[in-house]
Amino acid sequence: MATFSLLVTASPHSSQGQYSALEFTKALLQQGHTLKRIFFYGDGVLVASRLNCPPSDEINLTKSWAKLAIEHDFELTVCVTAALKRGITNAAEADRNALTGDNLDPAYEISGLGQLTEAMLESDRLITFG
Amino acid sequence: MKRLSVIFNKAPYGSQAGRELLDIALMAAAFDMDISAIFIGNGVYQLLDKQQPDILQLKNHSPTFKALELYGIETILLEQEALAHRNMTEPQLLDVAELTDNATIQRHIQQSDFVFML
Repeated sequence: MATFSLLVTASPHSSQGQYSALEFTKALLQQGHTLKRIFFYGDGVLVASRLNCPPSDEINLTKSWAKLAIEHDFELTVCVTAALKRGITNAAEADRNALTGDNLDPAYEISGLGQLTEAMLESDRLITFG
Repeated sequence: MKRLSVIFNKAPYGSQAGRELLDIALMAAAFDMDISAIFIGNGVYQLLDKQQPDILQLKNHSPTFKALELYGIETILLEQEALAHRNMTEPQLLDVAELTDNATIQRHIQQSDFVFML
């Protein structure tokens, strides 16, 4: 059994990468592997907004990731630079940057790129979904 | 020591990929790893000298490529076939990368523990 981490850079709204990453995650957990962290970078960070509101008959990736992470106890980490650039922020970063609101889903955390390197070094495999 | 290859395969400014990949390389350099930066395909445009993205109100990240060595990223490879296909020559580029044939680059990537490409 191996330990995995994922780097997800695909936009949740305009490409299939996020959905593929989600299904890959389910498959590896089903097979008994361990997942350390999903790191969202580039347009991938857009999935962390709790204001994402797709039509009710379409998959809600924000909530799907959150549910899976809570069930299986792995981390959903969002790069702070990529996130702020794209309007994804928690209350602390909103305050620091004088923004009027915050939108980070509570299942996700904002952190730095060091968390990506750490995940890579502490996992047997790092898979990118772009 | 773990070997990491960071592969640039896109031209700058049309997307954020080059800039964001560069940030990954610099962050990884803070950890104890053997890191290579590799430029293939349209990625060779990343190393063009005298870039003026300020005309497009974009930030020029290319000077940072010159600082890679300072960050301990000493292996910087550029695919010579990609350069030739684009009718480009070495004097047009920042003097940072080693011209390397495609087969050698493939071997280098195969020997890496981790590979990043955005």
